[in-house]
This record gives sequence, C-alpha cells and structure tokens, in this order.
Amino acid sequence: MTPVMFWLGIGIVLFVLGLHGVLLARQAIRRIIAINIMGSGVFLVMVALAARGEARDPVLHALVVTGLVVAVSATAFALRLATAAQAGDKKASEPKA
Amino acid sequence: MALTDWVFDGVLGLLVVVLAVAVLYARTLYASIVLFIAFGLLLAVVWARLGAADLALAEAAIGAGLTGALLLAALAQTSTTPFAEQRSAHWTRQRWPATGLALLVGVLLVRSLVGLDRMAEPGLMDAVTQNMADAGVGHPVTAVLLNFRAWDTLLELVVLLLALLGVRQLATKPLVIAAPWALLEAWSRILAPLAVLVGGYLLWRGSNYPGGAFQSGALLAAAAVVLRLNHLLPPVRWSSWGVRILVLLGVAVFLTVAIFTHWLGAGWLNYPLPFNGLLILLIEIAATVSIATTLTLLVVGEPDEVRA
Amino acid sequence: MTYALISLLIPLLTALVLLLTGSRRGVWVILASALSLVAAAFALLSVMGSGTQYLALGGWEAPLGIRFHLQPVAALLLVFTALIHLLVAVYAERSSHSQTRDTDYWPLSSLLHASLAALWLSNDLFNWYVTLELLGLVAVALVTLSGRKAYGAALRYLLLSLVGSLCYLLGVALLYGRYGVLDVTLLAELTVADATTQMALLLMTLGLMVKGALWPMHLWLPPAHAGAPTSVSALLSALVVKGPIFILWVLWAKVAPPELAVSAGWLMAVAGVIALISAGWSAIRTPYIKVLVAYSTVAQLGYALLALGLLLYWQEPELEVALWLFIIAHGLAKVSMFLAAGEMQATIGTKRVAGLKGATETMPVAMFAFAVAGGSLIGLPPSGGFVAKWILLLPLFAEPAHWPWALGVLVGTLVSAAYVFRVVALAFDRADPVRPDFVPDRFAQWLALLPALLVWGMALISQPLIQWLTGVSG
Repeated sequence: MTPVMFWLGIGIVLFVLGLHGVLLARQAIRRIIAINIMGSGVFLVMVALAARGEARDPVLHALVVTGLVVAVSATAFALRLATAAQAGDKKASEPKA
Repeated sequence: MALTDWVFDGVLGLLVVVLAVAVLYARTLYASIVLFIAFGLLLAVVWARLGAADLALAEAAIGAGLTGALLLAALAQTSTTPFAEQRSAHWTRQRWPATGLALLVGVLLVRSLVGLDRMAEPGLMDAVTQNMADAGVGHPVTAVLLNFRAWDTLLELVVLLLALLGVRQLATKPLVIAAPWALLEAWSRILAPLAVLVGGYLLWRGSNYPGGAFQSGALLAAAAVVLRLNHLLPPVRWSSWGVRILVLLGVAVFLTVAIFTHWLGAGWLNYPLPFNGLLILLIEIAATVSIATTLTLLVVGEPDEVRA
Repeated sequence: MTYALISLLIPLLTALVLLLTGSRRGVWVILASALSLVAAAFALLSVMGSGTQYLALGGWEAPLGIRFHLQPVAALLLVFTALIHLLVAVYAERSSHSQTRDTDYWPLSSLLHASLAALWLSNDLFNWYVTLELLGLVAVALVTLSGRKAYGAALRYLLLSLVGSLCYLLGVALLYGRYGVLDVTLLAELTVADATTQMALLLMTLGLMVKGALWPMHLWLPPAHAGAPTSVSALLSALVVKGPIFILWVLWAKVAPPELAVSAGWLMAVAGVIALISAGWSAIRTPYIKVLVAYSTVAQLGYALLALGLLLYWQEPELEVALWLFIIAHGLAKVSMFLAAGEMQATIGTKRVAGLKGATETMPVAMFAFAVAGGSLIGLPPSGGFVAKWILLLPLFAEPAHWPWALGVLVGTLVSAAYVFRVVALAFDRADPVRPDFVPDRFAQWLALLPALLVWGMALISQPLIQWLTGVSG
C-alpha cells in the first residue's frame, strides 16, 4: 500500500461516514455537519490524487480551494435556513399549544 | 518510505476517522460542533502533510474557523428541546438500509480506486508548468485560480454572493450582541489590526507563495466579526450603499476586466501580457474586499427591515 | 460566440445593477431578457450558419483552460431559457398574484438565467459543478420567497442538492484522477470501460438525478415547486430541472464508453417509464392544484429520461431530437400550466383542485390555457408534445421486440390524460361554480395562454426543426 492509497481510503471512509450521517440524522444541523464531512472526504480524495507525482498537482489544489468556498457558502445558507425553518415551526405550533 | 512517516500518517489518518465518527454520533449537538472544529483543524494538518499549503490555510480559516463560527451561531439560535438531544432521537428507522447502502457505496468506491494511486497520470501539471511564464503570478495554485481557470473563480464569487442573497430572503431575528467583556474588548483592539495586517500579507504573498484572496478575505472577515461583537464596529447592513458596493466589487471588477479584454480584442478574460500581473492583483484585491464583507455579513449581518 | 456571451452577460449585469441600486422594478429585467433573447437568437443563427464553435476562456486552450462550447443544442437552450425567463418576468411584473412584490425576485431570477446560460455553454466537468451549485442555491433562495411555510421544503431541497453536488464532485475527481483532463471533448476521446470510469459515471449520474428530480430521486420536488411563488414554480419546473438532464446527456451520449452507456441506458429507460406512471398516479390523487402540476413535472421528466435511456440503449443518436423536443415542449407547456394554476388558485382563493369547479365560467382563459398546455403534455396532435412523442414512438413501433416500451408510453399517456381531464372535467361542471375572491385578471390569464399557444405552434415549424436537429445530431 502506498501513502496515496492510504489517504484515498481515508477520504472514502469520510465520504461514506458522512453519507451515513446524512441518511440517518434527524436534526437539520447534524445533517449539515454530515454533509460537510462528506465534502471533506471528497476533498481528501482530490488532494491525495494531487500528491501522486513528485510535484503536487496545482490544478487539483485550486479546485479544492474553490470547492471549500462553495461548501462554506452553501453551509452558511443552509444553517440560516435551518434555524429559520425551526423558528417557523415553533411559531406555527404555538397557537395550538 | 521511513517507518516514522508511516506511523505519523497512520496515526493522523486514524485520528481523522475517529474524530469524524465522534462528530457524527456525539450525544449533544454542542459536542458535535466542537468536535467538528477540531476535525477541521486536524484536516488542515492533513493538507499540510500532503503538501497542500494553500489548502491548509484555507481549511483553518474557512473550513474550521468560519464553518465552526456559523455552526455555533446556529446552535445559539436553535433552542434544542431535551427530546431532540436524546441519542435515540437522531436515529431514524431506516438504520439498517442506510448502513447497507453506505457500505455498498464504500466497497464500490474502494474497488474503483484500486490502481489509481500508481497511475502516472501527469494531469495538467505539465501544462501548468509550461505556461507559468505567461501567468503573471509565480505561484501555480494562484495562477490556476485567477488565470487559467479564472471563470470558475468568477462564478465562485457569484456563489458566495448568492449565499448572502439567500440568507437575506429569510425572515430572521435581529442579532443580539451581549455587552463585551472588558478584557476581550482590549484584546480585540490589538487582534483586529493584526488580522488586517496578516490578511494583507497573505493576499500579497499569494501571488508567489501559498495564500490568496480567499484565505485573506476569511481572516479580514474574522477581524471584522470580532470588532462587531465587541461593539467597535457599527452594525453592518445590506441596505447601506457602501456595504453593497463592497460586496459586489469583486464580481464587478472581474466582469469589467473580462468585458474589456473581450472588447479590446484579446479575448474573454485574456489578460494582455505586460499587464497580466497587475490585473490579477487588482482582481484579487477587489475579490478579497468582497469576500471579507460577504463573510462578515453572513456571520453578523443585521436584517435590514422587518419582513412579514 | 460573442452573441452567446452577450446573452449570458446581460442577465448577470442586470442582477448586479439591480442589487447595487436596490431597485425592485421588473421593467429592467423584462428589457434585459428581451435583449438576451435577441442575442441568443443571433447565436443560434450563427451556429446554424457555421456550426459548432469553441471559445477558450482567458486564451488558455484546453486541457489547461476552460472552454465554452456553443453547440446547436446549447444555442437552442439559450434561446429557450431567455424566452421563458422573458414570459415569466412579464407575468411576475404584471400579475397581482405573483407573490414576488417587495422581494429580491428580480436579481435572483436574473442570476438564475445567467447560471443556466453558463451551464449550457460550459464544456468542463468542474465548471459544471460550480454552475450546478449556483443553480441550486438560486433555486432554493427563490423558493424561500414565499415565506416561512416554504422553508421546510426549501431546506430539504438544499440539503439533497448539496449531497447531489458532492456525489457529482467525487465523480469528477475520479475521472480527473484517471484521465487527467476536465474538458469534456478531450475526455470523450480517452474514456475506456473500467471500474473507475464506471463508478465515476455512476456517482455523477446519481448526483445529477437528485438535482434533476429524476425518478426515484424526485421526492423533494413536489413540495418545493408547489410551495414556491407562482412565477418561481414556473421557472423551476420549466428550466432548472433541465440543467442536470443536459449534463447527463453530454456525459452519457458523448463521454461514456458505449459498453457502459448501453446498460445504463436500459436502467434509465426503465426509471423513465416508472416515473411516467407512478408520478402520474400521484398527480391523479393529490388534492392540491400546484402539487398536481409539480407531480406532472416529475412524470414528464420520465419521458425525457426514457428518450435519453433508449438513445443510449440502442445507440441511436436520432432519438436526441425526441429528447430536446420533449424538453422544449414541456418547458413551454409547464410555464403555461403553472401560471394558469397559480393565477386560478390565487383568484379563486383555494389551493385545492376541488376549488376549480366551474372554472370555465369564472376564469375561462386561464382554464383554457391549462387545458391547452395539458393537451401538449398528453401529446395530443398537433402540439409540440405530440411531435416529440411521435418521434420517440416511431422506432418503438418498428420492431415487435420494442413493443413493451411502446406500451409503457401508452400507459403513461393515459395517466397524463387522466390528471389533465380530472381538472378539465371539474372546470366544466358549471352547475355550482366556486366564486372567485378577486376579479380575475384578464391580462395575466392571456399571458398564461401564450406559451401554451407557442407549444402548439411548434408543430407548425416541426418539420424544419426536426430536420435541423436530426442534421446536427449523430
């Protein structure tokens, strides 16, 4: 086994763990965290692939930088939406209670 | 490869996985978030280990730092009932099918990756190396981001803008900021200018060494957030002209350069040679300002009007 | 190529200007999409004249840089996007029921237009990831415009969309790791049928199916599309779900090695037939008007999936014509249907299908638009939907071995007829019509009718259109 294969494997483990978390978590925030772990797995696969040669592949590194920014943007929106949705649910259920 | 390297890699990899499991299955949401921040920092070590210094910086600033702050902010707004915190509550009934599916995906993925590590696929590395002379910057990752694949980066700035616009549509409560703690306030007066300095340095350095607009923007945003939380900065609102200009500056400058390069004949985003370094720097500065403002608004932005 | 760039730039710049000035006037967006439509039409003309064109962005040739690829289908989709955005913008500006007043609808819809244009033009696997993410975020932001009640559906849409993007991105990483290029045209020459390629394509397909709400990944669509403001529902159903289908088509028809495409094609075709029938069944049973229309989108996407699947299964590029005619006919018909349904729902004051009782008397034009659009969805001649279905059916009738597929299409047609006639029959029940809460808006109703008439008009130009599409495919 090469170090690259080792890190590829870890990346896949993270992806699969995240997927499992997304499928099973109930709270929206937990799902968002699980999605971020999935994302880390994908990024790890990309960075490990970049480390195959003597020099590091700058294209893959740049793609991961882009991916990180996209991920944090989406996470920010999702978190605010999740809290707003929860507040909405509470408001909706208040008159009944 | 030396045995010590293997031990280091092995321990690091194992730790990452253990932390991920702990994050996902932690009993309380708070524990989960704190562990997630630790996970992000550890990941930054992994990137450094794999020779990706840009990513280590970006992960520490954006992945662990900013995402962590956003998660903690979301937690503060979420009043979790004790019911939701029970362990059984976050397991749904589809436990076994989901586990089976995840395992299947994992096995298929491992099978598809076998042999990929030994493939001597140069990728685009040669192409990047050959064209570095005309790239206008000395650092390959910056060259890819702002020159070779600049269109991606432009769209990515729009993605960031859209996250802000999306948040703006939501009817959210105004931010409540507790009175600052005296020591914290004193510290922030020192920390903030330091962050601005380091941010500026990261941006400048980014053209030749790891670092760049995103890492620097995230740092500047962190400084702004600290200042805002200590009441050293007035409330930031989308409704003020200045803020809007700062947020839109990055995309606007990028697009202006793109349009002018196309119009004046060189081609869409084709920087004319003697000025390419200068144009890239201009775009980077504008992008940094926009990223910093947008991230600040995402964390401590005030809703501008009360919407029904 | 410059025209295509202008068609992409106009909505993007419009969005920036609107955001900067804080203007909430629709006039500028209407003007901008009209200009964008003109530019797109010129782009289409130039493709018809001189064929497929490439533009290396930043002057960096592939594989290093990103290329725009203006192919006939992309040019057609540019025109289609601008046209639909224009129609919906006029409706949103004019109708009092569009639920988009005092919101950021205008810059967001312009950004949606720009993201789609960027998607049609792109020829790069990773750039598609960014455009898909753009499209997902803007679509979710638009859904939230209808207020708190839509937040739950919007959140589910966003989370699933993010999982879909990550699956897609992992697929891209595998393909890049295996072949070392991201440019689609270059990749198409390299691919071989091995485990890595297969898994990458599988992951990307799963991700795209989630984003495109293709059966069985469609469950998020009905609440999200039905809960959004009416003009947003129309944009989402007519345009947004088509983006992932476009990428799916490029991936499987151009990039995938034929060995893999054949078996995947069979699966897609089967999923398409199931979508047609099961989503149609849900549309028959739902009590809500807009949910019915949203389920009809899932069912109609089944046709597109079937066309794509059979195209791959039999390796017959001619079926591309059927695929794109479906996409365009469905887009026009669905805009009409959503606008009519939304207008009737808001005017009559109920979300339930039962409220449409006697609607032919109270809102005749809107109901007519609904029925005419429904006719095209069912595939009644001589509508655009009929032409598309006819091209799909021709090879199905040719050989007895293909008859089971034809049977699937037939059952699907009957199911679509059932949910359209369910509404139409109720609307003709004039004995005791439900009285509207508001005075019906005549202009908005005619506006809803316009795309439905266009889709029937498609039949008139179907001959040259089919010939042209057949000429450029394969």
